[in-house]
Amino acid sequence: MKDEEPRNWADLPSELTSLILIRLSVADILDNAQKVCRPWRRVCKEPSMWRKIDMRSLIRDRGMLDPLAIMCRHAVDRSEGGLVKIHLGNFVNDDLLDYIADRSRNLRSLGLGMCFPRVTRPGLMNAITKLPLLETLEVSHSCLNLSLEDIGHACPQLKTLKLNSSGGFWNSRNDDDYALEIAKSMPELRHLHLYANNLSDTRLNAILDGCPHLERLITDVLQA
Amino acid sequence: MSSNKIVLTSSDGESFEVEEVVARKLQIVGHMLEDDCVINEIPLQNVTGDILSMVIEYCKTHVDEEESEEAQTKLKTWDEEFMKKFDIKTLLQIILAANYLNVKGLLDLVSQTIADTIKDYTPEQIREVFGVENDYTEEEEAEVRKENAWAFDEADTPKP
Repeated sequence: MKDEEPRNWADLPSELTSLILIRLSVADILDNAQKVCRPWRRVCKEPSMWRKIDMRSLIRDRGMLDPLAIMCRHAVDRSEGGLVKIHLGNFVNDDLLDYIADRSRNLRSLGLGMCFPRVTRPGLMNAITKLPLLETLEVSHSCLNLSLEDIGHACPQLKTLKLNSSGGFWNSRNDDDYALEIAKSMPELRHLHLYANNLSDTRLNAILDGCPHLERLITDVLQA
Repeated sequence: MSSNKIVLTSSDGESFEVEEVVARKLQIVGHMLEDDCVINEIPLQNVTGDILSMVIEYCKTHVDEEESEEAQTKLKTWDEEFMKKFDIKTLLQIILAANYLNVKGLLDLVSQTIADTIKDYTPEQIREVFGVENDYTEEEEAEVRKENAWAFDEADTPKP
């Protein structure tokens, strides 16, 4: 590196530009940063900028859902298969999940915040069976009938599961079923976080027996 | 604690005498000390005295990073106040220096500070603040716009 003061920002070595831009949101990078100048655009196109994608914000304006799903596809394209971690907000739908799963076989961590019924149970399973390397799954939903047993079998490496079913569905199903499914199908689990949950001691013990490597178990009980 | 002193000299000839433990926070210095343990004066050619003094101030504060939550919170507050002192031009010089001197914590801190500054800025605002020139041709700008098919806040019609 030569001892020259940068005349302007674009003169920074590209590894430093990427160190800064990688801390911006997906929307900030795609809508603003990459339009600043050519050197920035080159940085914003590097697949290494897109190994982790965080688009978890909660969208209340339904008109924004589809544009965000398109933006997310674009971000996934830029990762060129190198995506390892993605967290999606409530704009996620079956098609988007399938798109991501087809292009991201190295994905280790998937987070889904779903409060609109845009993802179906078969849609979720279809994507998850394409992601056998998944180690972390975080799902917060209100209206999905999840089969944790199928998920466990599809993801033998699953080490962290965070499940928030604090919406409507949880109450309509026996909480303990989930516990049994976890105990049966996720033997590699290290961390388990169950929100809004009401487990009996028996089921708790079933989890402890079925997941011998468990290091941390958190349950948040919602008081009626 | 060893009170061995090391003298760091900047590109413009300013010298700083610091404890060896502080100097070692500059990984470039740490490596030199490992290669030859009798050095006690180190010239640093790619950083000026005013910037080097900031880096040293950071390293002194971070010299023993305690694990406790209280110590971490205190350091975080110090970091925030420290960053508030600088304008963008200085931040740019600090990030270059942190990269050259290999001070990982400072590199992360400055990157985050700059990112926090420019988030939500339009491309025009970013160019203005940092003095960057728009070197796009009209064709390239059109190409970027076309790529941004989600564009929900612009009513642009695609150009031919």
